[in-house]
Amino acid sequence: MKEVTYYPGCSLHGTAREYDESFRGVASILGINLYELEDWTCCGSTAAHCTDEALAIALPMRNLSLAEKYDREMVIPCVACYSRFKAACEEVKEHPEYLILPYEGKVKIKYALDFLSEEESLKNLLSKGVKPLKNLSVACYYGCLAVRPPKLTEVKNYEYPEHMDRLMELMGAKAVSWSYKTDCCGASLVMTRTDIVTHLTQKILSAAIEAGADCIVTGCTMCHSNLDTRQEDLTSKGEKRKIPVFYFTELMGLYLGHREVKKWLSRHITDPMKLLTEKGLI
Amino acid sequence: MAEKVGSVLVIGGGIAGIQSSLDLAEMGYYVYLLEGSSAIGGRMVQLDKTFPTNDCAMCIISPKLVEAGRHLNIEVITGGEVLGLGGEVGDYRVRIVRWPRYVDVGRCTGCGECVEVCPVELENEFNGGLDRRRAIYRLYPQAVPNAFSVTKRGTSPCKAACPAETSAQGYIALIAAGRYEEALEVIREYNPFPATVGRVCTHPCEGECSRGRYDGAVAICALKRFVADWVYAHGGGSWGSFSDGVTGRPEARVAVVGSGPAGLSCAHHLVRMGYRVTVFESLPVAGGMMRVGIPAYRLPREVLEREIGMILAEGVELRLGVPVRDIDGLFAEGYSAVFLAIGAHEPQRLGIPGEDALGVYYGVPFLQAVSLGEEVELGSRVVVVGGGNTAVDAARTALRLGAKEVVMVYRRSREEMPANSWEVEEALREGVVLEFLVSPVAVEVRGGRVVGVRCQRMALGEPDESGRRRPYPVVGSEFVIEADAMIAAVAQAPEISFLSPDHGLEVTSRGTFAVDKRTLATNRPGVFVGGDAHRGPGILIEAIADGRRGALSIDRYLRGVPLLTPREEVPLPVVDLAEEEIRELVEGGEVEVGSRVVPRTVPVAERLRDFREVELSLTEEEARREAARCLRCGICSECHLCVRVCKAGAIDHQEAPREEELRVGAIILAPGFSLYPPELSPELGYGRFANVVTSLEFERMLSASGPFGGHVVRPSDGKPPKKVAFLQCVGSRSKDNDYCSSVCCMYATKEAIILKEHDKEVECTLFYMDMRCYGKDFEIYYERAKKDYGIRFIRTRVSRLYEKAKTKNLFLSFVDEDNKVKEEEFDLVVLSIGIVAPKNVQALADKLGISLNDKGFAQGKYFSPLETEKEGVFVCGAFTGPKDIPETVVEASAAAALSASLLYDVRGTKAKTKDYPQERNVENLEPRIGVFICHCGINIGGVVDVPAVKSYAATLPYVVYVEENLYTCSQDTQDKIKKAIEQYDLNRIVVASCSPRTHEPLFMETIREAGLNKYLFEMANIRDQCSWVHMHEPEDATVKAMELVKMTVAKAALLKPLSEPKIEIKKHALIIGGGLAGMESALSLSTQGFSCTIVEKESKLGGQLNNLYYTIDRKNIQDFLNELKEKIYSRPNIEILTETEIKKVEGYLGNFKTTLLKKGEELIREHGVIIVAVGAKESRPKEYLMGDDERVLTQSELEKTLFLSSEYIKKMKSIVMIQCVGSRIPENPNCSRICCLMAIKNAIKIKEISPNTEVYVLYRDIRTYGFYERYYTEARRLGVLFIPYRPEEKPHVFKRDTYLEVSLKDSFSHDDLSIKADLLVLSTAIAPEENEALAKILKVPLTADGYFLEAHMKLRPVDFATEGVFVAGMAHAPKNIPETIIQARAAAARAGATMAKGYITIQGTISEVDPLRCIGCGLCETLCPFNAIRIVETDKGKKSETIMASCKGCGICSSSCPQKAITIRHFTDEELCAQIEALRREAEEAMVKVA
Repeated sequence: MKEVTYYPGCSLHGTAREYDESFRGVASILGINLYELEDWTCCGSTAAHCTDEALAIALPMRNLSLAEKYDREMVIPCVACYSRFKAACEEVKEHPEYLILPYEGKVKIKYALDFLSEEESLKNLLSKGVKPLKNLSVACYYGCLAVRPPKLTEVKNYEYPEHMDRLMELMGAKAVSWSYKTDCCGASLVMTRTDIVTHLTQKILSAAIEAGADCIVTGCTMCHSNLDTRQEDLTSKGEKRKIPVFYFTELMGLYLGHREVKKWLSRHITDPMKLLTEKGLI
Repeated sequence: MAEKVGSVLVIGGGIAGIQSSLDLAEMGYYVYLLEGSSAIGGRMVQLDKTFPTNDCAMCIISPKLVEAGRHLNIEVITGGEVLGLGGEVGDYRVRIVRWPRYVDVGRCTGCGECVEVCPVELENEFNGGLDRRRAIYRLYPQAVPNAFSVTKRGTSPCKAACPAETSAQGYIALIAAGRYEEALEVIREYNPFPATVGRVCTHPCEGECSRGRYDGAVAICALKRFVADWVYAHGGGSWGSFSDGVTGRPEARVAVVGSGPAGLSCAHHLVRMGYRVTVFESLPVAGGMMRVGIPAYRLPREVLEREIGMILAEGVELRLGVPVRDIDGLFAEGYSAVFLAIGAHEPQRLGIPGEDALGVYYGVPFLQAVSLGEEVELGSRVVVVGGGNTAVDAARTALRLGAKEVVMVYRRSREEMPANSWEVEEALREGVVLEFLVSPVAVEVRGGRVVGVRCQRMALGEPDESGRRRPYPVVGSEFVIEADAMIAAVAQAPEISFLSPDHGLEVTSRGTFAVDKRTLATNRPGVFVGGDAHRGPGILIEAIADGRRGALSIDRYLRGVPLLTPREEVPLPVVDLAEEEIRELVEGGEVEVGSRVVPRTVPVAERLRDFREVELSLTEEEARREAARCLRCGICSECHLCVRVCKAGAIDHQEAPREEELRVGAIILAPGFSLYPPELSPELGYGRFANVVTSLEFERMLSASGPFGGHVVRPSDGKPPKKVAFLQCVGSRSKDNDYCSSVCCMYATKEAIILKEHDKEVECTLFYMDMRCYGKDFEIYYERAKKDYGIRFIRTRVSRLYEKAKTKNLFLSFVDEDNKVKEEEFDLVVLSIGIVAPKNVQALADKLGISLNDKGFAQGKYFSPLETEKEGVFVCGAFTGPKDIPETVVEASAAAALSASLLYDVRGTKAKTKDYPQERNVENLEPRIGVFICHCGINIGGVVDVPAVKSYAATLPYVVYVEENLYTCSQDTQDKIKKAIEQYDLNRIVVASCSPRTHEPLFMETIREAGLNKYLFEMANIRDQCSWVHMHEPEDATVKAMELVKMTVAKAALLKPLSEPKIEIKKHALIIGGGLAGMESALSLSTQGFSCTIVEKESKLGGQLNNLYYTIDRKNIQDFLNELKEKIYSRPNIEILTETEIKKVEGYLGNFKTTLLKKGEELIREHGVIIVAVGAKESRPKEYLMGDDERVLTQSELEKTLFLSSEYIKKMKSIVMIQCVGSRIPENPNCSRICCLMAIKNAIKIKEISPNTEVYVLYRDIRTYGFYERYYTEARRLGVLFIPYRPEEKPHVFKRDTYLEVSLKDSFSHDDLSIKADLLVLSTAIAPEENEALAKILKVPLTADGYFLEAHMKLRPVDFATEGVFVAGMAHAPKNIPETIIQARAAAARAGATMAKGYITIQGTISEVDPLRCIGCGLCETLCPFNAIRIVETDKGKKSETIMASCKGCGICSSSCPQKAITIRHFTDEELCAQIEALRREAEEAMVKVA
């Protein structure tokens, strides 16, 4: 039984509940104990990180100080949180004065996708899979923060990452090759420049369709909501079909035969059920 | 200093190394040209065309390659590497290693037949990986040396693991290709029992197979069996002819004792080599253990008998039932050598009570008895003792004899069992019961018969010497297994007691013969021992291996050569593929992805009925799929098919690396450069996007000899592209590579132009940062690309590419020149990848003790470029920093000059000369023509009926001797030609073969060595111009070959001997110009040992240097100038004439006579060569208020101010510089090259003096090429502001009372700017001197803008077409100080090389004027491109006269002469007409025939 500290962040308790539930579901089948960090607070990737340097560092560092009580790695499913935590660890070296609680730097921070793509985890996954994702073409979409900046994430193939693709292929899906894996979906401009966001999401959605994908898979809460909710424009601009967007944990849950997959998927705006039914996966 | 050595080592065989070598060899030094790859030529040979002249790169470099390859004083060492440096300057000792190429360069004729049979394909790096080549290959078709070489990565693990060294990878490759007969041949090179071994081998190879580390070893053994069975079943497999390239073996008889696998294998190999062999066998059957030790269900008897029969059929004499007891007797009978292979048949007893009872058997004798068909009574319950293969065989045999219960007892556990696991599994499947940790203690006997075996349990203790845990008995654990028979199969030993005791052979403590394991030689000469007799019981393949090894050793013993080959002495390391690489090979699709085949077996119920074979052969489909799984670890599979087809006997896989020491006086390093790996810029998708290629790949695509035959197509779909983007600065001018690669702007422009020439419709767009067209006439080329070719240039750096999923088109977004974001689709993208330091050069630098800069380049010092901290070690070419071809060639010559200055006093001491026999007088003799017709392997012979051409040639007039040769160019044929000349008194020679361009010098040399004048030779090209172009019309090709021979013979009959007179050269140089270039040239010549005169029109030396104060790396120029002047004045052999001008130059190369004017006085100097170093000057245009306002300066005026009055600068608030004033404009289209650097140098200086002074540089393109880029970066860091403007929106300057106002439009932001300037500095154009008059006097050309024009922009950058005249410095084009120094030395090298010998040899093929016909019209003089013909006054009026020293024999004068007064020797009208006439007659005869 593997034990890790779990930092869900605000999204997974809100708009991305299905990500939270599916991650917990998958973890339980894989025999991973998630200990949600007690008394966790905001990571600072909200407005804080660009408005207040002190908060940007203090918020994540406080959480890390709490996590350091346990000899466990900390897994974070939200890339914005993940990125903020990684960045703060670097920034605090320059600004130790922002550290509220003592922190020795022992906590290993892992992004959920990276965590679940580790060799050991993949072997475990393969041994427990019950429903291969046959005939399903997926476009793996990493977004901007999952792999960048490479100095923080230490991802080698940051221009063309492949670990999610490999995960999907191992579960029997076909991962299409396409050029937009790490393009920006515009989520950070959602409130201020919707016109730009629309342009960016459309590009990604149509590129996935052109590449022959049945669906998009992501591990970012912002990308998910952005791509999942902006498909009306797509069809109005002549694209023939919509394209469902999954969290990678949802497809893992499907593959592992989790009972609540349908519940998770019911929260999506672009309906994935038709696709999964067609493919005989649900 | 030690005594100096007159030879030089040049490292790197690219154009730089070649040029250095040629210069040095001409100067009289012996040169070792060391190249790591298999051919010289470097990068330049990979290029399609060269800028700015669009010459074909191969066409212009090829003559240099041939010249270097044939030069008497250049030794080309390919596959060479430096190991270390000893000695000292002047006498360096360089340890080198010559890596094997496995092809003898001296023997290989380059015919290419080996390539046809080679089964291994790999990526062709020469073509950028766009196509594939074979493991045996020639780097490129025109390669020098023109010889093939073999790519080996090492010994493949399978071959290394095989006791017989079988090239498993080789036969597997051939099986994969469906070439079964050849595959079988490969196996049988090592092993005459493929079908036998394919069934029973324990295949240690599979244990080592690299694929085993991924998803299961290749089923090598099953493949061996498949191919043997397949070939036998299809009627093949009889032994063909044998050749291993060895000739002249002695006649000898060899005795082989024992007909087992070792003995028969030995006999087989020896018989094929031509020895007479007798095999003595004590048993009534042949085959040894194969026949009597292996049960038939594993090895059917007919399989074995067939293979034994085939060996005997080759002529081995077999004497059955004849035991040999006396070795001396064999020698006495006349055998010259003996191979003992008596096996190990003696069983070891268990040593327990009851072993003599009835029903006790021993493993090998038991199997032997069954095999020989003897009655064996076992009963129904059998106990087998032992855990080896013999025990398993005995158990399974017992089942087949009808035993109902078979129990195997083994004293250790399953893990320790020596038997093969698959055999044990089959035994279990068949019902054998295995009892582990059980040992027999007694045989239970009742009535003399076995009734059971008493055993005890064992436990495992500490490991013993074999590494296995030692069993010990468990007390009180005894029990009895009831049994009717016991078979003990624990061990066998050789039995040698039958030999008479005086055999004299050393015996080991184990009772085996002692031998040298590698050679199998015993202590007794001529006696060799193989198989179990020396190893103890071993596996079959070991015995077969020993047989071959014994045969090889006996053969070498009988021939009196070393028993081991070089490679056997120094083995090739075994390949160890990394896991990662294995995964890439399989998952990347390079090899078959499927998993290991499982051979089918006969069901158990059926198989136990009799001794039928259990395992079945693979099907053809299974075999080919399985074979395709091979990872080809060794690259070359060592199938040795190339050896078989090489008629020249040039291939030797037994080569090993050879180390040696070279003694040289100096070393020139020219290792060239590597290319930036585009994978490091992943955002551009190289490797992921099919239609993103590198510039070098694109270059190969453009090339006619490239992967697509010169058709540019998209890699994704093979369609011609319609829209192509070139992305500049990939890997250059970036954070990690913070320098400019210097050549990419020009090569990309060239590639775009050439592509447009291929297809006018293609749209080409170049995305660039700054266009850096700073070389001579480069800017004009760039302008032509825009205007004449419509190539679009967009100034932007593209940050990312996207691939369209369906079309594979590339999509890129960029900010265009109107500052708008644009998106555009292209169907091919070319990445202009930058230049990086050569691979592994740091190791080389360490060995030589020189340091490199942070990027791995050997950047020299500003005033002493090309020198390193190690005296006598010089550098040149792209290794000193990215540069183009002409600059590389210039540096190469300069490095040669530096070496020559160092070694001037030992010049000629190591150079070789050649003596020729007295020439025979053939004048007035009737022609006696010898014709040699070449098969060129099958290149000609495969198409043209050579024997028919030969008979035809014999009928031609004057032909007295005709011969056909396999390779006329091979060394032995040269000897044949010489003999034929002598024997048949031949006085004209014709060779019908390939191209005179490459081979004529060789044949001319040959006949010269035979005493004939070399011009009594003529060549017919029946290959390139006949068999190659008509390969599908053999009959017509034969007729054409006949016609070509006839024409050539017709000309040959008229050939006349021509003389090659020598003309003395005056060893004195005249240098025109006393600036930096002139002074450096003079100093170099002076130190090379030549005297010279410097002619300077001003009153002092120094030229432009007098106006310069500091360098960009902050060195004081005036100090340098003063030191240089001192050196010049201290040299006694330099004459300095200031305030002197040239009045008149007469004469020609070697013998010039020049009249000088010094202050009105005429001086005359006689000299051999001229160097033009007249320089150029900074112009002062009337623009931007220059001349109107004293606040407007030129850059050199600013420099002076900065140097002399820094306080003045500190008062300046703002200084504006305007670039390209008077450059890059229609009136002066070229770039002045040095102004960007000068502006940045001065801007940095301003910032250093006065950090608060604002500096603005208004520019069009910043051209800080190479490492100068770093100064551009530094200037920006210091706060210098660079603002681009467009030529059509030039800045405007207005005079205000307290300042100057400069207004302009920023071409990036499109903002209108107005800058207040306290000083305005103009980067004004460099202008040539008034060169017209001098050019006329020297009869050399100028460029359109008035600079001197060299002979060839790429490869003869300091020579003029007129012999003996050279150019250096700014007279050639604008250049900075280091460039000028280098070029000056290069000119001195070329001049020195010309003067070194003291004479020049005039070629025979020059023009000759008939004064009776000449009317002195002067047309020839006007047209001659070499100034080699002139009009002279004679007493018969004006007549034309050839200047022999300058004539190149081009024939322009002859063909243009209205009076037909001029003849080109060796190409006379008479000779040419005879050829045509011969062809006409041929045609007429054919017409008559038709009629």
